[in-house]
Formats: sequence, C-alpha cells, structure tokens
Amino acid sequence: MATTTSTPPSDISAPARPARRSARRRGDGRFVLACLLPALVLFVLFMVVPTVNVFRMSFYTWSGFSPDMRFVGFDNFTRLFEDAQFVRAFQNTVALLVVVTVVTMGMGLFLAAIMTRQRLRGRNFYRFVLYVPNVLSVVVIAAIFSAIYDQQNGLLNGTLRLLSLDGLQQVWLGNQEIVLWSVAIAMVWQSLGYYMVLYMSSMASIPEELYEASGLDGASPTRQFFSITLPLIWQNLRTTLTFFVMSAVNLSFVLVRAMTGGGPDGSSEVLLSYMYKQAYTNSSYGYGMAIGVVIFAFSFLVSLLVSRATRREPLQF
Amino acid sequence: MKEFTRGALVVTARTLVAAVCVAVVVIARTTVGWGSLAIMLCALLVLLVVLASYNRRFR
Repeated sequence: MATTTSTPPSDISAPARPARRSARRRGDGRFVLACLLPALVLFVLFMVVPTVNVFRMSFYTWSGFSPDMRFVGFDNFTRLFEDAQFVRAFQNTVALLVVVTVVTMGMGLFLAAIMTRQRLRGRNFYRFVLYVPNVLSVVVIAAIFSAIYDQQNGLLNGTLRLLSLDGLQQVWLGNQEIVLWSVAIAMVWQSLGYYMVLYMSSMASIPEELYEASGLDGASPTRQFFSITLPLIWQNLRTTLTFFVMSAVNLSFVLVRAMTGGGPDGSSEVLLSYMYKQAYTNSSYGYGMAIGVVIFAFSFLVSLLVSRATRREPLQF
Repeated sequence: MKEFTRGALVVTARTLVAAVCVAVVVIARTTVGWGSLAIMLCALLVLLVVLASYNRRFR
C-alpha cells in the first residue's frame, strides 16, 4: 500500500493566518483610534491645554487685560508664603474638608441605615425631603440660608427670640468666628440627601439573608452595620470620599461667593474664592494661577491618599 | 486579654483619635498662620492614617 504524504490544507494556510490576523488587529486598532479621536481631541483641547496653561501662567505676572506679560519664575509662589490671606483661605478649606466630610458622611450613613433597615412609615417622603436640596441650585440654597441667617428677620434669630433665648442670637454671617460654620451647615444640608441616596442604593443591594443569619447568631443592629453593611458598601464609600474632597473645594467656592463674598474681612475666604478674587478682581492673573496650582496639588494629593488608605479587594455577594 | 475586649479598646482608641483630630482642626483654624495650617494638615493626615489602619485588616 502506497503511502502518500499529503499536507493538510490547514498547514498550507498556516503562515498566511497570522498575517491575516495581524492585519485584522491593525484594522481594529485603527477603528478604535478613529472612535476615540474626537473625545481625545476634546479632552486635550479643553482639559490638558488649560491645565498646562494654568501651570505656565503661574510663572508670569499679568494683569489679565494688558498685552504685557513678564516671566517671573517662582516669584508668585514665594509671594504665597508671605500672604496671610492665602494661609487663612487654605485653613478654611482644610477645616471645611474635614468637618463637612465627617458630619455629612456620618449623618448620611446613619440616615441611610435607618431608612434601609428600619421599616419607617413614610420613608419615601423623608427620602424625597432630604434629597430636594440637591436638586436646587447652589445659589438658591445660598439665598435660602441668607434668609435663615438674617440678623433681624431671619428664621434662626426669630426662633431664638420666640423661645426667649435672646442671648444665643448671633450675626450668623457677620461674626468672624462663626461665619465659616454657617457656610458649612449650608454645605451639609445641600449634600446630605445626595450621599444618603447613594448609600441607600448600595445598602438595598445587600442580600437580606446575611442580616437574617447574623440576627439568628445574636448580632445587634450596630454589629450588623459594622460587620455586614459597612464592608459591603465599602467601594461606594471610597467613591464618595473622593467626591467629598472635590466638593469641599468646589462647592464651598460657590456658597462662599453667594453668601458672604469671603467676608467679613476675609474670614470665610476659601482657596478657590481667593484665587478667583486675585485672578479676576485684583488683576493678578499670574498670582491667581499660582494659587490654582496649589489647589490642584492639594486636591490631587488628598484624593490620592484617600484612595490609598481605603483600597481593598471588592467583596462579591 | 479577651479578643472582644481588645477589639472594643481598638475601636474606642480609633474613635477618640479621630474626634481629637477633628477638634484640633476646628481649634487650629482660629489662629491664622503657617504653624496652625501645618497642625491642621497633620490632623488631616492622622485621620487618613486612622482610616488606613481600620481598612488594613480588610485588604
């Protein structure tokens, strides 16, 4: 019997296959690139270029209007060290970051746990009421709180008068010692509902059996919260912590601008409002951009540290 | 020391440290200056360390 050594057809086309595959991969790559290009161009145009420009402008002195622009190196940054108002704005930003984050997160988690775990009557109504401030514009919230804090006809002082607690009346937005905390209360009120709903959505996805099983083992609601709820919503908590850092910097600017304008005597100034003031009101654009660089570095560093401190393997359930 | 007592002590210590850090931030803000700002940033850093120490056993 004669044996034939015929090569199977697959072997003939074997060298051609990788070439075809690599050509297809190249084609796929081009298609992906073409799809990404518009977004990439927009990102570079509206994110990268302005950010680089902020860094570049921080080395110049410029009024913002005249054609004269002078390179001054690190002079704008050395000026920051002697600027007491900048230090005060930085301190206010850190204070708001810490206090507003701790209070809002604590209250948000507490309310979310109660609304999810306890069968409260009318909880949808409470959720709606707490969420409404988040829908309102920040300027509207500033107007509401300005009315509440009004010295003569404000709700707060009026209520204190009604309760014969005249001694507790304050000039809430005029007292240098308490003005920042008045703004902080408005910040907490504005964002509490948002974070509460975020936490509630995570908590609602936790299987009920876990609570039932732990309940049978004798776990108290507090124990269940710290051993089941908190670990299972951890990824959500991580995300919101980064949001807190950003909102402490950004939201505080809008509220301060609308409620106090940084006053009285700069006591409620925050970093962004001070930067805005220097760049657009004081005609020190370069100096304002130097403050912008500090804000960028600070936000970036805190967000990075928060991310590192809270990193853990996501739990599957 | 029992495991439960040890756990309770650690939780109490962490809570106390966090509360002290928040208090330090509030108090240090009343004085304007680089020293006070440095104290505030240190308190913020300690808060993050407390958070990291709580998170460590879950990694």
